[in-house]
Amino acid sequence: MTLTAGVDVGSGAVKVAIMRGGGGNEELLATCLERIRRRNVLDVVDESFEAALREAGVRRDELDYIATSGEGDLIPWRTGHFYGMTTHSRGALFIAPEARGAIDIGALHTRAMRFTNEGRVEKYQMTSQCASGSGQFLENIARYLGVSIEEIGPLSLQSDEPEKCSSICAVLAETDVINMVSRGISTPNILRGIHNSMAVRIAGLVRAIKSEGMILMTGGLARDAGLIAAVQEKLQDGKSPVEVKGHELSVHAGAIGAALWGAFRHYKLHPGELSGGGT
Amino acid sequence: MTIAAPAEPALGGRLGAIIRRATELYEDLDFKSVLDWKAKDKTRRAIGFLPVYVPREVIHAAGGLPVGIMGGGDMTEIVRGDSYFQSYICHLPRSVIELAVSGRLDAMDGFLFPSICDVIRNLSGMFKLLKPDKYVHYFDLPQNFRAGLGGKFYAHEMRSVAQAVAKMTGSEVTDDRLRESITVYNANRRAIAALLELRIEKPWLIPATEYYLMLRAGYLLPADEHTALVNEYTLMVQQSNRRPLDNIRVMVRGAFCEQPPLALLRTLERAGCYLVDDDFVVGSRFIPDPIKAEGDPWEALAEAFMQRSLPTASVYDEKHQKGDLLVRRVKDVRADGVLLMAPSFCDPALLDQPMLQSALEEAGIPFTSFKYSEDTGQFQVIREQAGTFADAIKLWGTA
Repeated sequence: MTLTAGVDVGSGAVKVAIMRGGGGNEELLATCLERIRRRNVLDVVDESFEAALREAGVRRDELDYIATSGEGDLIPWRTGHFYGMTTHSRGALFIAPEARGAIDIGALHTRAMRFTNEGRVEKYQMTSQCASGSGQFLENIARYLGVSIEEIGPLSLQSDEPEKCSSICAVLAETDVINMVSRGISTPNILRGIHNSMAVRIAGLVRAIKSEGMILMTGGLARDAGLIAAVQEKLQDGKSPVEVKGHELSVHAGAIGAALWGAFRHYKLHPGELSGGGT
Repeated sequence: MTIAAPAEPALGGRLGAIIRRATELYEDLDFKSVLDWKAKDKTRRAIGFLPVYVPREVIHAAGGLPVGIMGGGDMTEIVRGDSYFQSYICHLPRSVIELAVSGRLDAMDGFLFPSICDVIRNLSGMFKLLKPDKYVHYFDLPQNFRAGLGGKFYAHEMRSVAQAVAKMTGSEVTDDRLRESITVYNANRRAIAALLELRIEKPWLIPATEYYLMLRAGYLLPADEHTALVNEYTLMVQQSNRRPLDNIRVMVRGAFCEQPPLALLRTLERAGCYLVDDDFVVGSRFIPDPIKAEGDPWEALAEAFMQRSLPTASVYDEKHQKGDLLVRRVKDVRADGVLLMAPSFCDPALLDQPMLQSALEEAGIPFTSFKYSEDTGQFQVIREQAGTFADAIKLWGTA
């Protein structure tokens, strides 16, 4: 049985997934997430990779393919590298087989993908380089407000009168937030205002890819229930028949997708090991 | 967000020393290596040439050093160069002018501007005005490939260069001397061919940047010194423990004149593409096979150029074979796909592209195209494009 690893190096965190099998019979053995926090990224990769191997009970030399994604092309011991869009689509399909689209919200960018039931990307759209639709922006806002990242979602859901703020520029939005604090606006209403401004941009991406059905949020912000609610609300306009969901494994979608494509490549390069190939 | 793939960690040992030497040469925009070469003998003269091709044998036979002037890359700030050209002109001539007006081409005693495009032709005119005390020649390559017409014209052009350089060095270009120079450059051709062959067979042994630096070194070093360097490098990398990655094999076309920055090559490789064939610094192997070193050497050089040079956009394709030759080459080097990467505003490359694309489409060969300039510093979009191209071929293609 094939053993593969996926390593997704993002701007803010390293995610690792260890998987067994292929051809439609895949099993997730372990995951690991480690925030980079100004450390040497290759040290963080080594640390999280070893932790994931320990959890899976697998030795490094037993792995058939080590697939990287994101900035993982810097890892010298990789077997191969896959682009983030490719891995997030495949990871989303594994996590939610009914999904035909994914919204990956990382620390520095957001992108939406539409894919087939094989995980093949059909269309994608990415934000421009402004940070206002990204996780780093939300993290900065949380810091100004004195709340942890984990608190953002639940607090946002408590909002009763969201404030409006700029969806165009992170700097303007941060200025808006400072004004809101000085005007005594509650933290939940500020956070929901930020979520709503991000949701405008994200909904634009989703409409651009013309995805239908279920869309899985992936990436670092996929566990933010407040953001998911805001995006879902923005898309309930009758024009986009979609349902946006998060999942506890969503943050690992890139690593899981990389591991799965690693297995796919392994079988493609060694066709005798699995009859019929598979995704 | 990564702007450019960082350089590989420095290597130690002899291999590391070879790469450092080639890197120093590449970064030497003051042409100190040329000044050092000239300082050893007062009769020595250096002749700078622009892309794509000049018969370096002729300069060598006259006792000169042919020096490739490939622009300032991403290492030169353009202060005055922009004022010489419109905004819709490629970047190379701007940085060449910048090097010239800042005195960094003073090591050259003459300049050859081979016929490629209008921009290079106009640049030769500017040099005539800027450098009235230097030998400046627009080297007109033949567009008619019959020996009695184009061959005769080309031999006349070569003899004109030979006489001009001989006047500077005091060494007349005899047939014997020219045959000796052909032999010297044939050894260089064989060294480069062996490097290319190894790269096609085992691309993981030769990173694109190292390969590129090896080629560029040949535009600054005397031919025999470069041959020794390339031979040693080829031997050393075979003894290295570099291991293969699951990358696709791609061919690059369009980069024959203005050169891509090293970080772009690293970006493509990191995106999952082994560059197994290319047209970088193509003048260094424009005639890939040895040239006849017996008989009339002028005729031999002319015959080689007209009948056996590589198909590029700068040479008139009399028989309309470029598309077929490209497809054949893709098959020969077992490339999974083609990157058509042309410098922005490069008329020859961009005018050839539709023809090449049609040939690739007809043959069912995947390709993608993008543009760059020698000072491109932001590679995210190219990285995405090359990365998704590699993914599509690895997952859904034949690789």
